Amino acid sequence: MLAVSARDLGWKYSGRNNFAIEHVDLDIEENTFVSIVGPNESGKTTLVSCIKGLIPSSFHGVWRGEVEVFGEDVRTKSPGELAKEIGFVFSDPEAQFTAMTVEEELVFGLENIGLPLAEIEGRLRWVSEVAMIEDLLDKPPYEISGGQKQRVAIASVLAMKPRIFILDEPTSMLDPLGKDFIFQILTNLKQEQDLTLIVVEHNIEQVAPLSDLMVLVYNRGIAKAAPPAEFFEDIEFLEAHGIQTPQATAFANLLKQQGLLQGSLPIHFDDAVAAAEDVLASAPD
Amino acid sequence: MEENVWALEEGEVRRPGIVHIVMLALFTGIGIVVGTFGSLAIPIGFVSAFWPGQAIQAVGSIWYGMWGGIAAFVFPLISNAMSGSAPLPVSLAYIPANFVQGMAAGWSFRQFKCHPALKTGKDWLVFTLIGILAANAFGAAWGTTVLRLFGLITPDAHSVAWAGWFLGNSVASWVLGALLLKFISPLVIRTKAFCKGYWA
Amino acid sequence: MAQTTQPVRKMRRTLLGTIPVTSPLYQLHPATRFISLLFLGVVSMFIDLPEINIALLILILVYMRWARVDISGLRIYLPLMFTVAIFMFTVSIAFPGDDPTFHAFEFLGITLYLEPLYWTFASYWRLMAMLFGTIQYFSTNRERDTLVAVRALKVPFVVTYFLSLALRAAGMFMEDMRTIREAERARGLDESSMSLSDRAKLYAMYMIPLFTLAIRRADEISNALYARGYRPSGKVEGGGKRTDYILTKYKIRTLDIVLIVTQVIIFTVVGVLRIGFGVFAVTQSPLRQYLLTLMSG
Repeated sequence: MLAVSARDLGWKYSGRNNFAIEHVDLDIEENTFVSIVGPNESGKTTLVSCIKGLIPSSFHGVWRGEVEVFGEDVRTKSPGELAKEIGFVFSDPEAQFTAMTVEEELVFGLENIGLPLAEIEGRLRWVSEVAMIEDLLDKPPYEISGGQKQRVAIASVLAMKPRIFILDEPTSMLDPLGKDFIFQILTNLKQEQDLTLIVVEHNIEQVAPLSDLMVLVYNRGIAKAAPPAEFFEDIEFLEAHGIQTPQATAFANLLKQQGLLQGSLPIHFDDAVAAAEDVLASAPD
Repeated sequence: MEENVWALEEGEVRRPGIVHIVMLALFTGIGIVVGTFGSLAIPIGFVSAFWPGQAIQAVGSIWYGMWGGIAAFVFPLISNAMSGSAPLPVSLAYIPANFVQGMAAGWSFRQFKCHPALKTGKDWLVFTLIGILAANAFGAAWGTTVLRLFGLITPDAHSVAWAGWFLGNSVASWVLGALLLKFISPLVIRTKAFCKGYWA
Repeated sequence: MAQTTQPVRKMRRTLLGTIPVTSPLYQLHPATRFISLLFLGVVSMFIDLPEINIALLILILVYMRWARVDISGLRIYLPLMFTVAIFMFTVSIAFPGDDPTFHAFEFLGITLYLEPLYWTFASYWRLMAMLFGTIQYFSTNRERDTLVAVRALKVPFVVTYFLSLALRAAGMFMEDMRTIREAERARGLDESSMSLSDRAKLYAMYMIPLFTLAIRRADEISNALYARGYRPSGKVEGGGKRTDYILTKYKIRTLDIVLIVTQVIIFTVVGVLRIGFGVFAVTQSPLRQYLLTLMSG
């Protein structure tokens, strides 16, 4: 089943002359990991905000086209339904904290949707473990580090067990160690949970190996949408559209250009190493 | 032709929403900080206090209408307690004064169609005469009457206390209020939370 | 040489300072502590006798000591205590009134009157008792404790959530202010050597970034609330009440009930005695009687 289906989607913010996105067609299968990439101001956040239903409910502007989530128009869903079905993590974790302690932050959404106490306790224990924040529960959210804040933000949304989980540049404000933690969590989520994950990211190196589908948003539209192997076939095209390819893939592309490598380009570092070893093994002495 | 920032555009619909409650809370938070730090940093005393909080009250109601008016009487309850400027019963008795100190500016700007960024002489006049002087005259009168009723000042000291309160508040709030309106209003007007009416 | 290590005391940040996690105060339910705010912050309104208000003030300091709060942090209120005293007594000396029954005496060449001075003395200690009754609460309780208290007292959700966000915002902005001030100090700014007008200008400078931060955060926070199904009414979509998980972590014990009832009874009795029978009026002060006797003698 399609988790998300967008047809001729367009949105213009009030007071602006141009559309932020227009003529967007996109299908996302259920239980896939989709990364949305592209240069700044290309429309990535607008796109995912439309999927979440934040646009048009929280913004003034002009809407065109349609977005369906599990077959229903997102604009017909109530805020409660949207909250339960589609989770959204913002790039600035500080901006989404409204409670006094991490524990309250984690249960806030669960209280809003009226879950029973036993269910709340169970989900609290589960999500603290998944996000590795068991020892932070009693702390105020503004007293923890940036990486910890983002893990709390992810956990607070994950606790609601949404079917679609959108993360808008979750690592943009983090140090390298914090970024690694987040990607570890995303890896675990992909492997262990039945979730459709949509991640807006600039860190292609780490997000590409996780992706089932990569979507390039450029100049208010979708320039390319394909599985990673196909996505990185034309590296020059990607670089012309502001995308820096993973180094392993770029290296393998050099080999391919020399005629030393056949087939699709590897995305994972290990696959690139294996390809290089094959090339070396077949090289004449 | 004068720009009327308060008029709704054709087809424009404005409704109170979550963003207004959030802005109310954030503004109250700012008021708590400003009120507390202001009183502690410049400890003159509870009657002739140099209190920049009135600027927050006036500016809040200009930008956010009644939401600013609510913040105007809520934050002093907490900031007075934290700074020690007034005990709780006195702060509760101040509520009408604090509300008027905020809403005088908010009402007058909408009534006389003044621009929040103080663009014309009329805007400055309304802000100064009503938003600052009249508001603080009322606030000082109410406040000192409350202090007298609570036995914290003598009847003979009433007029001195009023004068000290009025002057100390007016100067602080005129300076800070004008700065905030001049430099931040253009940003605020573009936001969802800005209220053209009293609630949205 | 062997190093001795001090045990690390885990502290919780309150609205006005810090309190140890192991403070005995935390045996009490937040609602009980909130009632103490209403009691200690208001009861002196009915008591003019400085003897009682001074005793109450000492009791508050002992209470804070018992709670293991660092009372040296109350130093920041000393300037306020002095300036309020100076103002009140100056006004009282300059404007004593003209009641012919007042007892006059000379001090350093100035004619002073006992009754208005003593009335000011009594008012001062009444004010201090009420102020410290409020300050003790904010020094010993976190924002969360206040929230739990008002929720336990069945205040509507829209009000409690607003309060929660406002207190959280105040905490956030205080952190921002602290950061800005530390950055200024690190660059050599010495506030203590600045004149009053320069400090006032400094404040104006701090306000601009605080406001722009608040405006940016309002949009972001409201989007985040919407994304997590927040409804101002506190009702769940489709009917039913919003669950209150945090409240279940606190239990009201017998001690809490006893303390709450005791405070309510004392408050009511004091109020009735003062309003109905004039008990605790300043004219009943033993110290005043003693001074009057001295002057008459």
